[in-house]
Amino acid sequence: MADLNALRQAVINGDHTSARRITEEALGENTDPLQIVTGCLVPAMDEVGRLFEEEEYFIPEMLLAARAMKESMELIRPRLTATGAPSSGRAVIGAAKGDLHDIGKNLVASMLEGAGFDVHDLGVDVPPEKYVEAVKTVKPHLVCISTLLTTTMPALKKTIDAIDAAGLRDSVKIMVGGAPVTQQFADEIGADGYGENARSAVQKARELTARGAA
Amino acid sequence: MNGRERILDMIEDGSSDRLPLMPITMMFAADCLGVTYRQYATDYKTLVGAQIKTAELFGFDYVSCISDPAREAADLGAIVEYFDDQPPALNEKHALLSDKKQLAWINPVDPYKGERMHDRIQAAGLFRERVGGELLIEGWVEGPCAQAADLRGINTLMLDFHDDPAFVNDLFAFVIELELAFARAQMEAGADLIGVGDAASSLVGPRLYNEFVLPAQRKMVEGLHHMGAFVRLHICGKTRKLYEGMGSLGCEIVDLDWMNPMDEAREIMGEKQVLLGNINPVDVLKNGSPESVAEAIAQCHRHSAPRYIVGAGCEIPRGTPPKNVKALAEYAHTHTPEHS
Repeated sequence: MADLNALRQAVINGDHTSARRITEEALGENTDPLQIVTGCLVPAMDEVGRLFEEEEYFIPEMLLAARAMKESMELIRPRLTATGAPSSGRAVIGAAKGDLHDIGKNLVASMLEGAGFDVHDLGVDVPPEKYVEAVKTVKPHLVCISTLLTTTMPALKKTIDAIDAAGLRDSVKIMVGGAPVTQQFADEIGADGYGENARSAVQKARELTARGAA
Repeated sequence: MNGRERILDMIEDGSSDRLPLMPITMMFAADCLGVTYRQYATDYKTLVGAQIKTAELFGFDYVSCISDPAREAADLGAIVEYFDDQPPALNEKHALLSDKKQLAWINPVDPYKGERMHDRIQAAGLFRERVGGELLIEGWVEGPCAQAADLRGINTLMLDFHDDPAFVNDLFAFVIELELAFARAQMEAGADLIGVGDAASSLVGPRLYNEFVLPAQRKMVEGLHHMGAFVRLHICGKTRKLYEGMGSLGCEIVDLDWMNPMDEAREIMGEKQVLLGNINPVDVLKNGSPESVAEAIAQCHRHSAPRYIVGAGCEIPRGTPPKNVKALAEYAHTHTPEHS
């Protein structure tokens, strides 16, 4: 019988080979896919976030864990879809227009996915109109915009304004983050939330979508 | 005592007449001259003009060739994205070494033949013509981890440490050779000191830093010293847990980002290490007041005197009020190295 504790540990250890193997075993035994997500992957990524916050893990360990989690999720996702299992919510994420830095954005995307969100990653250098289009087509509960550069901070406000101008502002919660972003800045540009790091971003995402997920 | 002498005296024995002033400026300097950042980063005459004007406006003790991390990668053939008014950048989707087998086939480019590296070498030469002997001239290269990330893609490199450590060491060896050739050319052109920017190394944590990055940085610093260069090490981000290694490199100046405690750096790196920094560039320098800038820089000085150079934790951001930069400069202009 597949050892789900070992799966959890494999994700924490960043062991993608074991994570994939145990997931295959579990699904082969008809383990409830939602149980694998909520019982293993979510707590594993929570623990990874905690270790990062306490500076026991750094970016390489985070990315290894994210890779292991994603390999597991790749196998689980079709089963989840087939069973109609609920996600934590749909999230659209990207780096602001003009910004090609994506390591922070990728970490938040992985942590959101690990927290059970259905994540649509728009990539880097994403213009406001692309976010608007994604809000129309994906119908997310959450939009996350990141920037590493002070020069692209205005693009966060432009993106929020574009979503507002398209009449879509009330349909989504918007979070911003990145090295130069502060809570004060997030408030000034009309964002709903701000994450100082990947773990706090996920906590905020959970709060913001607590009543909106489908 | 002129700016160059002031910095060299601080490096030599801490005897400068007042605190040296070496904040990093890039986009702020371009704005001072009223040029776009694209012009600044692609034309050495513009960069030199902007740096000298900024140094004169605020009384800086140095000028720098720093502009963006994509010069070496561009000349090696990487695809660089240019923006009208912000730094050129590399897109990981098109990383030059996305296929790591390519490392066996690329050769370090001759910095004099490369377009963007040569532009920086020419900047060092023009600085020498215009302010040589008066202001300290800083050349700039990417550190081993930062350049490896530029070539391989930073997300991928972070996994390589685990998946293929031998490749990481090979890549670092390639990068060190490249950067030393680039630094030598800048020194020959007129640089007094080489800044080494190794931002990516703050992401890896102490274990991987000590195992992989520190030995590579050591080789680079030894190579720079061998050619007679002084070295300023600047690592963006959290480096508190890397202090011991950073302090062991023998860099003439260790320049710390804002979130790192100067007092701990002083304790761990020893009293002879010249420290530079490190007020918060956004929260304090850009968004604060002259009073809060003065208060914050006084604390940095208190925590790291006397072998100390005034600067922000990282680049002075575009849009920083000139009065705040003046407050930073005023502190350096009116204080001796010993904190009273």
